[in-house]
Amino acid sequence: MSNISNISNIFIKTENLCFSYDNDGEEKVPAIKNASIEIEAGSYVAVLGHNGSGKSTLAKLLNMILLPTSGKIYINGRDITDPEMSEDDMFEVRRQIGMVFQNPDNQLVATVVEEDVAFGPENLGVPPEVIRERVAEALETVGMTAYARHAPHRLSGGQKQRVAIAGIIAMRPECIIFDESTAMLDPVGRKEVLQTIGRLNREAGITVLNITHYMDEAVLADRVIVINDGEIYMDGTPVEVFSQVDKLREAGLEVPQSTELLFRLNALGYEFAPGILTTDDCVAAILAKLSRTE
Amino acid sequence: MDTIIELKNITYVYGSGTPFQMTALDDVSVKIKAGFITGLIGHTGSGKSTLVQMLNGLLRPHAGQVLLHNKDIWENPKEISSIRFKVGLVMQYPEYQLFDETVGKDIAFGPKNMKLSDEEIARRVEEAASFVGIDKALLDKSPFDLSGGQKRRVAIAGIIAMRPDVLVLDEPAAGLDPRGRKEILGRVRQYQRDTGAAVIIVSHSMEDMAKYCDEIIVMNRARIFAQGSCAEIFARAEELVAVGLDVPQIAYIAQALRRGGCELEGDIYTVEGALSALVSLFEKKGIPRKTANNA
Repeated sequence: MSNISNISNIFIKTENLCFSYDNDGEEKVPAIKNASIEIEAGSYVAVLGHNGSGKSTLAKLLNMILLPTSGKIYINGRDITDPEMSEDDMFEVRRQIGMVFQNPDNQLVATVVEEDVAFGPENLGVPPEVIRERVAEALETVGMTAYARHAPHRLSGGQKQRVAIAGIIAMRPECIIFDESTAMLDPVGRKEVLQTIGRLNREAGITVLNITHYMDEAVLADRVIVINDGEIYMDGTPVEVFSQVDKLREAGLEVPQSTELLFRLNALGYEFAPGILTTDDCVAAILAKLSRTE
Repeated sequence: MDTIIELKNITYVYGSGTPFQMTALDDVSVKIKAGFITGLIGHTGSGKSTLVQMLNGLLRPHAGQVLLHNKDIWENPKEISSIRFKVGLVMQYPEYQLFDETVGKDIAFGPKNMKLSDEEIARRVEEAASFVGIDKALLDKSPFDLSGGQKRRVAIAGIIAMRPDVLVLDEPAAGLDPRGRKEILGRVRQYQRDTGAAVIIVSHSMEDMAKYCDEIIVMNRARIFAQGSCAEIFARAEELVAVGLDVPQIAYIAQALRRGGCELEGDIYTVEGALSALVSLFEKKGIPRKTANNA
């Protein structure tokens, strides 16, 4: 068996990870170039990048939907690029790292909510009594217990996504990757899903990777990784990343409106500390500036 | 502004007579202005998509009238397809509907159905492609070789090529990165300014709505909840939140600053608006400013 990484609390580790899509015999297009990252167990990481930057490719490599062209991936210390990996090992990786996708309508398979949530554990061969418990627990966690017997297609977008999340939780994953899971939701649906994600991370200790185009979602994470043209372009706390407005814009990204406002005031010569992210901090900074002169 | 399209007492019910009966539009009356970009917002299931499908006759109302240029579009149901040339509808994720061998042929599909001459079709394809920023060189390529953002712009060009009087876009920027959103919405605005067509945009992004729309219609539970300018609509933060919507972050910032005693002038719902209000306040209060040379 391959090397176990020394620090046991690193849940995901990639070393010089490369991946190219096979382009019908034409020149191969590299989607991930030499990416080396370490993600600690229990952390909440936002992954940003423009369309086509390689974010989703990275996610698919982590749970073996795609296999790397070269480089290593360790999940929980285990080298999943090891040729000795069996099919069972692969299913175990997918159990450990669940994925929630963008379109809620493409992820629900059953005609009743609780059956949909049971689909994953059933496939893992979990005994029926245990499945029942896990389904109840998972629905409780996402706040959908009242809808256990409802038809999924009659739910709102946010509710559907929460059912999809419950389906993942019922498999007891260590990590969940959200691949633009809020992109199609209305403001309330987004809030519901984001609150659920935050709770899973804080209360259940689940490692979260949230791939998103919404900068205000990235602010909620402990760490922000920006991918640009297949490479790790920025990596730091939200404050560190969002203080570099120009660098983000070069990668086709934006900053939250609060940060943009202070950045532009700064450019006009009104000095504000960089990296102010939240509404409250932005308001406090402006009020402080005004009170100092009175 | 003149009204270009009007819904008069429209009711539409899905699954009528079944246990799943649901009223999607409940006696809805609304006027859409010519020469405006109108934003349509509302929670999931509020009736936005049903309303949009009324505008070009994809759905026929169970009660009420759709008036285009003051004429009932259902007066002669056999001619309803001609309405779809006048009211162009770009559906959600329209890139999945591209089908032809080349980008040019795909864009030409609508004008061809209008039975225009070949020269006219060629002219319109070129014009529509340029409106959405698709390079001429791409017209001979397969649409399936393009990036997601390009594909979406090609799909929009296919509608624009019919030169509709009303262009309706359902979530045109969904799933795009910030640069892609700006590109698409900026192009749509330019198209509106250049042609004077009425444009209707459906979106869940309050920031985008505030930035690009002249007027906003808010739907809630199969009814029109409010209609007005961005300033009028986004001043009603509490009510919007109560119907499952929101206001742009900058509107919250302005609200909190005012509560903290800041005398900001004007209605603030964009970063530009907040910036100019703050700069004039800072100047009034004599807040020092670093000069450009030592910045």
